[in-house]
Amino acid sequence: MISVSGVRKRYGGAVALDGMTFDVRAGQVTGFVGPNGAGKSTTMRVILGLDAADSGEALVEGKRYRELTDPMRHLGSLLDAGALQPSRTARNHLLWLAHSQGLGARRVDEVLEQTGLGGVARRRAGGFSLGMRQRLGIAAALLGDPPALMLDEPFNGMDPEGIIWMRGFLRSLAGQGRAVLVSSHLMGELQGTADHVIVIGRGRVIADATVAELLRSASGGRITVRTQAPEAPEILAAAGAAVVPTGDGGLSIAGLPAEAIAGVLQRHHVAFSELAAHRATLEDAYLELTRDAVDYRAEDPR
Amino acid sequence: MSMRRALHAEWTKALTSPGTSGLLVMVIAGTAGLSGIVAAACSGATCGADVALTGVQLGQAIVAILAVLVIGNEYSTGMIGVTLAAVPRRFLVLIGKALVVAAGVTVAATVAVAGSVAIGETLLPAYHATLRPAVGTVLYLVLIALLSLGLATAVRNPAAAIGTVLALLYSVPIIVTVVTDPVWHDRLVKYAPVSAGLAVQSTEADPLIGPWKGLGVLALWTLAALLAGAITLQRRDA
Repeated sequence: MISVSGVRKRYGGAVALDGMTFDVRAGQVTGFVGPNGAGKSTTMRVILGLDAADSGEALVEGKRYRELTDPMRHLGSLLDAGALQPSRTARNHLLWLAHSQGLGARRVDEVLEQTGLGGVARRRAGGFSLGMRQRLGIAAALLGDPPALMLDEPFNGMDPEGIIWMRGFLRSLAGQGRAVLVSSHLMGELQGTADHVIVIGRGRVIADATVAELLRSASGGRITVRTQAPEAPEILAAAGAAVVPTGDGGLSIAGLPAEAIAGVLQRHHVAFSELAAHRATLEDAYLELTRDAVDYRAEDPR
Repeated sequence: MSMRRALHAEWTKALTSPGTSGLLVMVIAGTAGLSGIVAAACSGATCGADVALTGVQLGQAIVAILAVLVIGNEYSTGMIGVTLAAVPRRFLVLIGKALVVAAGVTVAATVAVAGSVAIGETLLPAYHATLRPAVGTVLYLVLIALLSLGLATAVRNPAAAIGTVLALLYSVPIIVTVVTDPVWHDRLVKYAPVSAGLAVQSTEADPLIGPWKGLGVLALWTLAALLAGAITLQRRDA
């Protein structure tokens, strides 16, 4: 649906995109994550033709965005929820957008209801909270009933209820077969929402994988065992495992499946408790991947 | 098709922006109001068409601010990104805005000039309404508005654009009056946008530049500004 290949972009001397390449597929929520300044927004601006790529290309349904007729019927986007004239009402903001795509007021009322803004439609958008503006931006993205959506940090400024709504809403859009690209600088926001994650840093893709794959790679197949027996590490190492004490009476073990570990310990009459697979979060996976790609980081105190 | 939709969108924007309609009302009130005040103060044989239409001196500033804000507000709020995502063929956006500004200003300026003429007829004994200065003044205001729109599109910042346009409207004419070199004085009168454009109001027997020729000079300035705006819009990252 959306295909970005080899896009490079510099602003003055700063490299913003350095060979950005990925595809966004239909029917799933694709998370687009990276530290601040990694190039998420720039990539989206290039896809929309707002910024021109120095080289490479970004295509929507095989065409450049600029070449699409009624582009919002092909790709709905939300880049900046604050990008509206404050004195215009929510409904009128959507109305001019609808007219630009040959759509009418009925469609405007539909998306207002869909995003829960029906009650405030005739209020000035300038008075909206950031969370409400995000909903208005989503409504705008939905106007053309597009097969693909691209949302930049839509969780920003949302209250917990709004975040839960947004997650469900994104899931349902993907469930309808749409391609949904959602950026975030917080991986945790995407856990339970995204099917697929593209991690970027310094203008290029670091990882492009399903959420399940990412979690598996981050946990590294490690298993945690709790035991008081001092001879346990030795016994396990003899059985072929790499053992690292975790410092709180636990051992982190790699290289042996859980059943084998239990078997070895029982054979040697070592008492143990809590044999569990180390459960990585998407956050862990993300931090591991982007460790070298963060531009601005506080130095460790010495 | 695309052009019609771009125009429809810009039309809806203008209709749903309280600021735009407010400024159009101010164009009428400001132009007719200033014309009325000056007409009331002037008496005698020298008070002709240029006095009756003095209000244009205020009206032009309001028209310029309106036109600047039509695109300038989009740059200051970031809404230009939404506009260009909706209408990625950027020159259609500028054409749409130009048509909407021209239509709105034509209506407001026609009312404003008609009001000024009516006031002049009542208050100025030496004034008899003629068509050319009146129609010319409406066209002058439309051209000033489009020039401001082009300029604002080129500089992309409403404050800077308003500053530039106001300098053009008021500083240049002041400079023209103090230039002592006769050759340069005449050149400036003939080719500076305001003095050339306002020649259309002149009832002098032997003006430096003919009324329609003067308006034509302003039209060239306007075209240049719109072109500069179009090129900037097309070339630069939004």
